Amino acid sequence: MNHRGIALALIAPALLVVALFFIAPLIMSAVQAFHGKDGGFTLEHFVKSFDFYGRDLLFTLAIVILSTLLIGIVAIAIAGYLTLGANARAVAVLRWLYRWPLFIPFVVAGQVMRTFLAKNGMLNHVLIGSGLIEPLSAQSLLDWRGIVIAFVWKQAPFVTLLLAGAMASLEAQHVEAARNLGAPRWRVLYDIVLPQVRGTLLVGLVLSFVTMLSVLSVPLMINPNSPTMVTVDVAYRINTHGDYGVANALCLLSLALSAIGAAFYLRHASQSSAKASP
Amino acid sequence: MKVRHLVPVALFALAASAFAQTTLNVVTAGDQNMVDYVNNYLAPKFEAANPGVKVRAVGTGPGDGGSQKIYEKLSAQQKAGSAEWDVDVAVIHQLASATMVNEKLLMPYRNDIAAGKLVSRDTAKNALGANVDGYVLPMFHSQIAFAYNPDMVKSPPKSFVELNEWVKKNPKQFGYNGVKGGMSGVGFVTGWVSAYSGLSDKLEKGPYDASSQAAIDKALGGLKEFNQYVVMTPGNAGTLDMLNRGEIAMGPVWVDMFYTWQADGRLNPKVKLELPSPGLPGQPMYYVIPAKAAHAALAKKFIELAESPEVQAEGIVKQFNWYPGIDPQFVQPKLDQASWNKLFTDISPADLSKYGRPFPLSPYFKEITEGYERVVSK
Repeated sequence: MNHRGIALALIAPALLVVALFFIAPLIMSAVQAFHGKDGGFTLEHFVKSFDFYGRDLLFTLAIVILSTLLIGIVAIAIAGYLTLGANARAVAVLRWLYRWPLFIPFVVAGQVMRTFLAKNGMLNHVLIGSGLIEPLSAQSLLDWRGIVIAFVWKQAPFVTLLLAGAMASLEAQHVEAARNLGAPRWRVLYDIVLPQVRGTLLVGLVLSFVTMLSVLSVPLMINPNSPTMVTVDVAYRINTHGDYGVANALCLLSLALSAIGAAFYLRHASQSSAKASP
Repeated sequence: MKVRHLVPVALFALAASAFAQTTLNVVTAGDQNMVDYVNNYLAPKFEAANPGVKVRAVGTGPGDGGSQKIYEKLSAQQKAGSAEWDVDVAVIHQLASATMVNEKLLMPYRNDIAAGKLVSRDTAKNALGANVDGYVLPMFHSQIAFAYNPDMVKSPPKSFVELNEWVKKNPKQFGYNGVKGGMSGVGFVTGWVSAYSGLSDKLEKGPYDASSQAAIDKALGGLKEFNQYVVMTPGNAGTLDMLNRGEIAMGPVWVDMFYTWQADGRLNPKVKLELPSPGLPGQPMYYVIPAKAAHAALAKKFIELAESPEVQAEGIVKQFNWYPGIDPQFVQPKLDQASWNKLFTDISPADLSKYGRPFPLSPYFKEITEGYERVVSK
C-alpha cells in the first residue's frame, strides 16, 4: 500500500464518525427544514419561524453580541493586569480566582444566577444591606440582563485564559521599552500588548460567540418567556408541539448566525497562515 | 483471589439474577415526583407482593413533551413491526392518549381489572374530546389554582374580570410563566381565553370550528394588555419561588406542587389557594398499557394495585397531595380525616367541581398556544 492509502486508512475511522454523527444529521436537519407535510418542498417553516420567532432571533443576536463585547473587555482587563500588574500578591490572588467559573457547567451557572439575581435575591440583599440602593428600587435582573451576566461570568475566564497565555509569551522588551519612555500601563496594554495578541483575542471571542449561541440551559432557567433565545424556541417546538419542521428551520437560522463567527475565524486563520508562510 | 478472577464470577452472578427476575418497565411522563412516586412508593409494594419481579421506572420529562417522547418510542416500535414492545406500563397526559388510542398503540384493559369499576369522572372516557373509553385509568387528577399571599392580598380576586382590575391597581404583583415555561402558565392562558372569548363550552366540548379563531385572538389581545401589568416567571417552580420570596403576591400554580412545597418547608406556610370563576383547567395523568407490552398480565396487576383505594388514599392523596384518580367516595374511608381535610382546606369539593375544568380540545389547545405566540408574545 502506498503512503496515500495508509494515510487515508488512518483517518478513515475519524472521518466516518464525523460524517455519520455530524454531517449526516446536519444535512437531514437542513433537508427537513424545507420538507412540507405533503412531502414536497416548502418555505412554510421559515415563514412561521420569522413570523413567530423573528424577534427572538434578533434578541439572540443582540444578547450574544453584547455578551461577546463585555467578555472581551473583562478578559482584556484581567489578562492585562495579570501581565502588567505591579502588586505581586494581587496578581497571584486574581490568577487563582478568575478561573473558577471555567469549571462550572452552564446549567449550574443558570441555577446560581436564578437565586442570585432575583428581586429579593442575594445581590439585592447585599446592595440594600450596604445602603447602596433603597429596598423599593430593587429590581429583578432575571431578564436579558441575567442572561448576559451569566454568559459573561461563565465565558470571560475562558477568553482570559487564552489571552493571558498569549500575553505571557510576548517578549518583555517591548513593554519595558515603553515603560522606560514613560508610558502609563494602560497605554502599554492598549498600544503595545493588545495589537500583538489580537489574533488570540479574536479566536477566543469567536469560540465564545458560537458557544453562547447554542446554550439552552441559561435562557431556559433565567428567562424562558418572550423574548427569549432561539434555543428555547427550538426545544419548545419539539417538546410541546412535536414540530420538527419549524425546529429545524430555527436550527438552520441559528447556524447562519454562527456562520458569521465562523467567517471571522476562517478569515483570521487564513491571514495568520499566510503570514506564517511568506 | 485476584480481582481478575472475580470479574467472571461477578458477571455470572449478575447474569443469573437477570434471568431469575422479570423486569416490569414503567415509563412515566411528568416531573421528577412521578418517577419518585413509582420508584419509592409503588415499586416496593408491588415487588413485595410479586417475588421475582423488578419494577424499573423511567421518567421522560415534564409536560406534554414527556408524553410525546413515549408516543414516539411506541410509534417507532409499531412501525418497525416489533412483536414485543419494551414498555409495560406508561403514564401519559391527555393530549398524547388521544393520539395513541387513535393510532392503535394502546391495549383496552379497564374491564379486565376490578379497579376499573371505581372510576367515575368523565376523564376516564374522554380525553380532550377524544374517546379513550376502556384504554385509560386516571392515576390522579391535578388542578391549577391561584396561590396568593394573604399578607399582601387581603381579598383575592374571585374571577378573571376581577383579576384584570386588580393587576391594574397592583402592577407587577401577579406573576405567571407564559406558555413555554410549564403547564401552570399554559393553563392560565387557556383559562383566560375561556373566560374572555365566551367560548368556554365550545372549547371543552367541541365540535372544533376554525372560525372561532377570531374570538380567541380577541381574548388574547386582552391578555397582551394584561401582561403589561404582570411579571413573567421562569417556570412552574419559578412562580412558587417568587411567591415564597415575596416578589409577587399571586400566581397560578399546580395544587399538588403547592401542597408538596408547603409540606417540605419550601413555601411560606401562610400562602393560600383560590380557584377563580369561571375556572382554571386541571388534568389527570393516565395509566395505559401499550398494545404489545411484553408483560401485559403483570402490567394489569400493577395498575390494579395502583388504583386500589388503599394506594390511592395513602400514596396519591396523603403522600403526594394529588386528587384521587378513582371516585373519592372509595378513597375517603381509607384515610384519616386530617389528611382528607388538608386536600380541601382552601378549595372546597364544591368549588372544585364547579370551577375545575378540563383543558380545551386539542385543536383549540394548539390554536390558543400558537395564538399566544402570534398575538401576545410579538
